[in-house]
Amino acid sequence: MSMTHQILAHTASQVSALAAFAQTGAAEPTAPTFWMPVGASTISQGVDHTLDVINWICYVFFALVVGLTVWFVVKYRHRTGDKFRTDYPTHNTPLEITWSVIPTIIVIGIFVVGFRSYLDIYTAPKNAFDIKVTAQKWAWSFQYPNGAVSDDLYIPAGRPVRLVLRSSDVLHSLYIPDFRVKRDIVPGRYTYAWFQCDFPTGQPGKTPRDPNAKVVSGPEDDAQAHRLFCTEYCGTGHSKMNRYVYVLDEASFGQWMTDQSQWMDKIPEEELYFKAGPKIFARCQQCHSLDGTVGIGPSWKGIIERVKAYPIVGDGKEYGTWEDYIRTSILVPGKYVVPTYGNVMPSFKGQLNDKAIDAVLGYMQQLEKFDTKTGKLKAEFDPATGMKK
Amino acid sequence: MSQTIATTHTTHADQAHGHDDHAHGHDPHVAHHFDSMAQQFDSAKLGIWLFLATEILFFGGLFVAYAILRMRNPEVFSYASHYLDTIMGGINTCVLILSSLTMALAVRCAQTDRRGGLIVCLVLTFMGAIGFLVIKYFEYTHKFHDNLVWGSSFYVPPHDAEGHAEAMALKTAPVASAAIVVKDPTLFAIPDLAVKPAVDVSAVKSASVGPTGMARASGAPAPAPAALAPGKSEEAHPGTHLEDAKLPPNTHLFFAIYYCMTGLHGIHVVAGMGIIAWLTWRAVRGDFSSKNFTAVDTGGLYWHIVDLIWIFLFPLFYLIH
Amino acid sequence: MTTIQLPSPGALPDTIEGRPASDNYLTHTRGILSWIFTLDHKRIGVMYMWSVLGSFLLGGTFALLLRTELLTPGPTITESADTYNQWFTLHGAIMVFLVIIPSIPAALGNIILPIMLGAKDVAFPRLNLFSYYLWVTGAVLCVVSLAMGGFDTGWTFYTPYSTTTTAGGVIPVLTAAFVLGFSSIFTGLNFIVTVHKLRPPGMTWFRMPLFLWAIYATAIIQVLATPVLGITLLLLIVERTVNIGIFNPSMGGDPVLYQHFFWFYSHPAVYIMILPAMGIISEIIAINSHRAIFGYRLIAFSSIAIAFFSFIVWGHHMFTSGQSALMNTLFSAISFSVAIPSAVKVFNWIATLYKGSVSLTTPMWYALAFLFLFTIGGLTGLHLATLSTDVHLHDTYFVVAHFHYVMMGSALIGMIGGLHHWWPKIFGRMYDERLGTIACWIIFIGFNVTFFTQFMLGSQGMPRRYYDYQPEFQIYHVISTIGSYIMAVGFTLTAISLFGSFFNGKKAPANPWGGRSLEWQCASPPPFDNFAKAPRVGDCYDFSVVHWDPKLGGYRVDESNDPEVNPAAQGTKAAH
Repeated sequence: MSMTHQILAHTASQVSALAAFAQTGAAEPTAPTFWMPVGASTISQGVDHTLDVINWICYVFFALVVGLTVWFVVKYRHRTGDKFRTDYPTHNTPLEITWSVIPTIIVIGIFVVGFRSYLDIYTAPKNAFDIKVTAQKWAWSFQYPNGAVSDDLYIPAGRPVRLVLRSSDVLHSLYIPDFRVKRDIVPGRYTYAWFQCDFPTGQPGKTPRDPNAKVVSGPEDDAQAHRLFCTEYCGTGHSKMNRYVYVLDEASFGQWMTDQSQWMDKIPEEELYFKAGPKIFARCQQCHSLDGTVGIGPSWKGIIERVKAYPIVGDGKEYGTWEDYIRTSILVPGKYVVPTYGNVMPSFKGQLNDKAIDAVLGYMQQLEKFDTKTGKLKAEFDPATGMKK
Repeated sequence: MSQTIATTHTTHADQAHGHDDHAHGHDPHVAHHFDSMAQQFDSAKLGIWLFLATEILFFGGLFVAYAILRMRNPEVFSYASHYLDTIMGGINTCVLILSSLTMALAVRCAQTDRRGGLIVCLVLTFMGAIGFLVIKYFEYTHKFHDNLVWGSSFYVPPHDAEGHAEAMALKTAPVASAAIVVKDPTLFAIPDLAVKPAVDVSAVKSASVGPTGMARASGAPAPAPAALAPGKSEEAHPGTHLEDAKLPPNTHLFFAIYYCMTGLHGIHVVAGMGIIAWLTWRAVRGDFSSKNFTAVDTGGLYWHIVDLIWIFLFPLFYLIH
Repeated sequence: MTTIQLPSPGALPDTIEGRPASDNYLTHTRGILSWIFTLDHKRIGVMYMWSVLGSFLLGGTFALLLRTELLTPGPTITESADTYNQWFTLHGAIMVFLVIIPSIPAALGNIILPIMLGAKDVAFPRLNLFSYYLWVTGAVLCVVSLAMGGFDTGWTFYTPYSTTTTAGGVIPVLTAAFVLGFSSIFTGLNFIVTVHKLRPPGMTWFRMPLFLWAIYATAIIQVLATPVLGITLLLLIVERTVNIGIFNPSMGGDPVLYQHFFWFYSHPAVYIMILPAMGIISEIIAINSHRAIFGYRLIAFSSIAIAFFSFIVWGHHMFTSGQSALMNTLFSAISFSVAIPSAVKVFNWIATLYKGSVSLTTPMWYALAFLFLFTIGGLTGLHLATLSTDVHLHDTYFVVAHFHYVMMGSALIGMIGGLHHWWPKIFGRMYDERLGTIACWIIFIGFNVTFFTQFMLGSQGMPRRYYDYQPEFQIYHVISTIGSYIMAVGFTLTAISLFGSFFNGKKAPANPWGGRSLEWQCASPPPFDNFAKAPRVGDCYDFSVVHWDPKLGGYRVDESNDPEVNPAAQGTKAAH
């Protein structure tokens, strides 16, 4: 396959060299147009240009078809009582050849333009920064080389980024419209997507919103970002698998990676449950409620009592303690499935380490401190200490 | 007020022979929408050939699946094909070919007004089909006995209820994910999807649950290779596939495609039996003659394609290793 | 020469060709059993017609439900994303398998093809009836699947979601699609044999009307492609019941293999949907321009070319699935080749308007709508065939808009146009022409409002199959939903116009539009055996001998100038 790639890439680069238009480095993301959103990656201009070429060809042919149709219908309209015309041609070989050959040439041209910009999309540069992505029903998890795990995608500006995509369960597809990038995620294998964005966005919690910025809004009252969607139907939560892409300059990015990998390490044990718990619960919330509502998974309300009452929990039984059971449910969810629920929980092995699990356990033990709708600490509790104000 | 319009309705056919809707001397075997027996026969032949084309495409999908599975798992196919009994398969092939011969003879008898011969040949064909199914029955039951079946049941040791439970657990257990949370970046290297080894089965290591597939039930230790009968060094023991150290992972795929293809073929054989039985009944009733043998001809063509498909299945599963 | 008496708008003549004038295929035998066990292709076609239109109502209801849900982000009329997922799945599955694929071939084709060909029936009438009952079985199985919990996999049933979802109705609907596939195969088989073997003397291949060429090309695809769908669905059922693992990665299988199998059929399937509609448009435009179709042979050959090319482009549905760059490149290049025959047809149709005498009847309005909508649908296919733009547009609303323009805006519009075109022939009644035209305009406007906005939705990045969406997309959704309600009004008016003909419609003459193909030579409705005597085949696109007869309320063909009839005649303007 690499040989074919070389040949194709070589051909493409030759064609590129002959091309009339050269894509210079853009100074800022391209503004949203009638058809396309913000264009923020290095390939987005090429794609948009291809789209423009196709669009203009389409406009011309559409105008031709509709215009001629309307003109002929009006001009050759039959009025009742008129005799039918008989001076019509039934065929005209030169004309028929012309209107077969010209579209053929045009579509070849469209193909070449599309092919050239496609090869740029397909082949990642050698020095790309790898980020591992795990897609599962119905959330994303982005894992960085230093062990940092994040729910949103943070990337360094000005460097090619390669995503190594894997799925824990069914087909998903990662789509970032502003970067014009999309790749299906197939369970059982790794797929790759690459892109490079040269324009930093904000960083949540750090950068105030810039009212003049062109990029898509981020979460309410927070930094701008690009949107990331799942675009291969994957079930109930398919339309909820939306996250944000934050582009940070090198220095900020390095700092973020370090912070992200250590954020839980910095939290004292006793504060884990209210500083880390809500963040982790945000993922669990898709299937587990806090107020007793039956969801895809059992509600966490009263969960500890229920677990302790299971016949498999207790001294000498399969799970010595309730913590043991919860831990197994997170890492190997199929081991014991609660009756009436399906075996659909994905494993969080590799995404939640021991500290994270401790945070979850602590969270479960102090559920009364958390708002049942948002999962966050209730207003009457102090976010610094977790105690009542 | 009614209008009379002159419209021509004379035809060349009209001038050639008087054609009206209830023609005298109309052959009772010719349906009313056909002009002649020849047209009806031609239509039936074209119809059955088109139907055979659809059968080829129908099975074609399975042949493509076979090809892809074989291409991706060559060691599985070369290993597992030893579990099929070539002798029985060979007998089945002969039986089917002979039944095709008797079917062709039946058509010939119908064409030459030999009613007795027609019935005999049809009955012989029917018996050939039964023989095929009987041999298939023995083949299948033997395999079921040894759990050489599709899916996770393949990993159940024969006569073992616990093993069954274990295999079920295997089916529902989540895939072990590649280790990710480590601060050591070298572990981030993208795993190479290794090129599958060549057909040499002995080069395949025994695996526990692999990242992309299934192997023996986890926990079962890989035993020392069982002493094989002399002269059969490359053949696997039926019934002991789980104890065979050389069992490649995902061997169940071979049996999955084997049962799908031979099963679908078997269904077509049964359908063919129904058709032959119907033809036999009609032949006894005296419906067929040199002027009307369409049904025998088209039924015969169907039977030939059933045979032809088996002739492709047999070497693909039983002969190539 | 035989005289034939055609019914006038006034009194009914006593006999036609020696039979009672009121005797036609609808009245020849009576009673429900005579319909249930009928072998008459016209009656079978009529049964298909009601069944397909009923399914269209059902599929359309699901469409209105899901469009209403999409009026606002978040829950609008249902709290459950699962319910919404079932709605779009059912909408797609019903429309594709129960409506669009059988619609023109099985409903209109069954009624018209033998008559247009000059035959008494299709080659295998019992197989035809069996095909219909297979369709009914498939429809019943769909209902069963709804009763068993429905299914939410999308009409494409991608694995591993379709093999692991807990929805209870998956296996019945897969069985339904399997059975419907065989209904389609047998219909196609029947038509191929009919066209090859049952042509009357004089009906050579190049004297066949283009509708027959279109149905023939469609039948080839039906026979060759549908069995692959059959085996795919069978494998899916086996995978779901006994878990063989062929599509399950944890058992060594491959989910993308399913996609290859599925699209190998489903891409040719979309040409099963469009080719017959193109055939209808050829007929409507030629007849209503009262002139020969331009470039007859090229249109005929382009139908066959489209049928051929349709088999080798399936990978363009899978550009982002991880296929190698080489395969993507090949599929993209070949996909462009399919655009050319389609474009050529459009140019030929426009050229048929040139120096014609265009009557703007309701079928003609539908044909013009087809030209407009098919142009947009076909041109937007270019965006999707192009590799780099497809990466951005795949699985977004842009694709949804594209396929609705070609499947609904072209194939369905073609079918409804054909329904209007042949309605007088099939039922012997004229529908209300003005109401029909108004309804056509309303559908046209509603359609564009609904689906043109979806192009923008998609290119701005909204993924498809989404229950919930980002607020900035709402305005597009609101406009699109309003358009869908407009379309619903239009379709209702069409139904009123057509069904109203049974109550208020005046009796139809044999030839209300001035056609020359053979179906216009028999009475409206046709007699039970189509033609008492084998009909004479003339040049079906030579309209110079067609004249309006006010006393008839219809057209008549004057063949006194035809040398085959009258040896002394000079001959009329030559054919194609």
